[in-house]
Amino acid sequence: MGLYQYSWLILFSPLFSFVVIIFGTRMWDLATRRQVNATASAGDHAHAHSEGEGDENTHYIETTGPHGEHEVLEDDEDPKVPRLTLGAKMSGYVSILIVALACIYSWIILFNQTGLISIAPRMPTSGIQVLAYDWLSGSQGTPPYTIAYHLDNLGIAMMVVVTTVSLLVQFYSQGYMENSAGYARFFSYLSLFTFSMLDIVFAQNFLVIFIGWELVGLSSYLLIGFWINKTAKPEQDRPAPATAAIQAFIANRVGDVGFIIGIMILFTNTGTFDFATLSSPTDPHGVAHVFAGNTGLLTLAMILVFCGAIGKSAQIPLTIWLPTAMEGPTPVSALIHAATMVAAGVYMVARTFPLFSAADPLALQVVAWVGAITALYAALTALTQTDFKRVLAFSTISQLGYMFVGLGVAYHTDIGVGAGMFHLFTHAFFKALLFLGAGSVIHSLHHATHQEVQDMRKMGGLGPHMPITAITWLIATLAISGFPFFSGFYSKDNIIGLTFEHGDYGLYIITLGTAGLTAFYMLRAFILAFGGKGGRFGGLWGGPYRGEGDPHESPRTITIPLIILAIASIFAGYWTGFFGFVQPGAPSLNIGTVLSDPLTWIGVLVSFIGLGWAFVLYTRFDLATINNVVQNNAVLRFLYYLTLRKFYIDDLYDLLIRYVVFGVCHIAAAFDTYVVDGIVNGVAAAVTDFGRGVRHIETGKVQTYMVGFFGGVAILAILVFALVTFVK
Amino acid sequence: MLTLNHFLILGAILFCIGLFGAISKRNAIAVLMGIEIMLNAVNITMVGFSFFNKVKPYSTYLTGQIFAIFIITVAAAEAAVALAMIIAIYRKRNTVDVGEINLMKW
Repeated sequence: MGLYQYSWLILFSPLFSFVVIIFGTRMWDLATRRQVNATASAGDHAHAHSEGEGDENTHYIETTGPHGEHEVLEDDEDPKVPRLTLGAKMSGYVSILIVALACIYSWIILFNQTGLISIAPRMPTSGIQVLAYDWLSGSQGTPPYTIAYHLDNLGIAMMVVVTTVSLLVQFYSQGYMENSAGYARFFSYLSLFTFSMLDIVFAQNFLVIFIGWELVGLSSYLLIGFWINKTAKPEQDRPAPATAAIQAFIANRVGDVGFIIGIMILFTNTGTFDFATLSSPTDPHGVAHVFAGNTGLLTLAMILVFCGAIGKSAQIPLTIWLPTAMEGPTPVSALIHAATMVAAGVYMVARTFPLFSAADPLALQVVAWVGAITALYAALTALTQTDFKRVLAFSTISQLGYMFVGLGVAYHTDIGVGAGMFHLFTHAFFKALLFLGAGSVIHSLHHATHQEVQDMRKMGGLGPHMPITAITWLIATLAISGFPFFSGFYSKDNIIGLTFEHGDYGLYIITLGTAGLTAFYMLRAFILAFGGKGGRFGGLWGGPYRGEGDPHESPRTITIPLIILAIASIFAGYWTGFFGFVQPGAPSLNIGTVLSDPLTWIGVLVSFIGLGWAFVLYTRFDLATINNVVQNNAVLRFLYYLTLRKFYIDDLYDLLIRYVVFGVCHIAAAFDTYVVDGIVNGVAAAVTDFGRGVRHIETGKVQTYMVGFFGGVAILAILVFALVTFVK
Repeated sequence: MLTLNHFLILGAILFCIGLFGAISKRNAIAVLMGIEIMLNAVNITMVGFSFFNKVKPYSTYLTGQIFAIFIITVAAAEAAVALAMIIAIYRKRNTVDVGEINLMKW
């Protein structure tokens, strides 16, 4: 048991590295950093350039050299330092080392729990409590306010994803954030994020999960807005990172309002936050007992809890924040906005799945339909996006929709949360790979053009220039498209098949169609970036490069994580016991059954149609031709702008906020100005005016006062006389 | 035959005269004189009460008369202070008109 009991070390180790970096190595970095102004910086660069640092790093030095001499975009960019100080590098090393240890530990736990190795007795499937602290003692019986962490199979699966992707992303960031003045700060935020995410994973009750929920929101905010000096680029429809960060934070708050109200409904009725107690069918505090015969309120509470997941996982109608969150550094997009944080919504629904099951079927139907509509919407929007990272952002939203469908259709089935969580598991790897690959391209083009190029129309033919990135990206593309024998094939077809078995043919059609769209837009993105008309293999590889400069493959710190993730993207789908692992009693995945099922091949056929159509369209014609055809056809043009503008959801929010929210604000402001202030100022003015009138009594003449004094005495005398005379 | 009422009426008349003078006169000296009249009106009342005390004969109970002597003493001191103030004000402002002495105005 010791092996599992000490797993809180995994939870707190990133917090430890956060503290070490913030109070230790970052201070060291700032203290030892040379004070340089702009001109000295350029001189420094020239010096570093001419000096060189041996053969291996020559390429590295040459490509970084011109940064300081390049004037364009200089004030728009992340502030650079000519060379990282030891303190900054140490921040990175501390963070990576600690997360690597945590990662190894979590893999050992996973292997031991699945029975692959056997160094400790396995823990029971119900999980164990690893840490508990009574924050506030309850009045009677069990203390309801407990900061408690526990570990079970579901948590182990998620923990492995979080620590692994964190490790790879932090390793990758060494290359991606090279020379960034905020290097140490970046790593501290990444560590803080990893801690927050693990807090959600380990949470034993709603209280802890909500704390983690808000902490990931905070770290997401900090990391999206990491490049604080960057300004908006309206011509590319890109906001400033600071704006994007605020948008993400506020959109999440909207969902969290529902989440906390849902938690409060559950707590006031049952008197406990604890997941195990709530979902227990026999416990007097369990929802099954408390809401027996009255599941309406429970259904409402669970839909409100799902609102939190809608916000965090960017589902309809709160999709808006995730595409703009792409303004953050790419490793952040990979870690937070693809693999882990956005999947926290799915994890939370999986964690509270027994409660959803105890509610009316409506609750899970809402989950499934929100997921399905989001999946379709995001896939349609992704069709026409030209920003490399935004395609991936919409793809993430779409895949998260799939996960919710997988959870939503699992009502009273054996498989339970297995399908949704399995897709989360595989998706984390290939989506992180897609983002890190995109980051590799952006990094490389930044060195080639000295600009931040994210527009796919300025890429093309990059395959031969950066082969490792291109091949790994192709693997991830095939994985996400559901190409047979890649990981996405197993996890996604499973969800689509589940909708059919469940008899939700509407969901089946939507998810199946979305699979085709997914295949289309992913291969489109691949060909636009890495291939093109005139390349080898029918245009998949190479072709004309539409940008400037001479892009090269990224350094090894960037390519190594890509290769590891590519391996994971292929083989993650072969963990056939996953369903039984996260949901005791669920049947394991039988690859033979999958391959002999006609439904599987219908899904594959649809994917192939998508892939084939993208292949034909983007390798036979160049972009200008396609654009001409679309612009000259009224219907196509309409559809093009509809999807390009994201079905005008952003504009709808704009109008809503500008006219409705601000309108209410104006009314409230007017009420405040004229009514509230009016009462206060009116009272004050009345008193002032009264005083102004009355003060004329004060003539300053003694005789006036004397009149008043004796007059008063006279009146009193008369009163006393009257009282004495007429009252007995 | 003199009775207590005669004394009291005299005191009241004198007090009213003094009060009228103190309130209506513009000259500070006249105001001061009015105040002195009021004080002496009170003295007459006090002595009257003392003299006509039927419960205890005045030879054994002199409170009213002693009070009157105290008032005379205080009135003397008050007159001295008041005159000094009037002289000071006159030197400063060149007037003894109480209508003009209104520095305490709002």
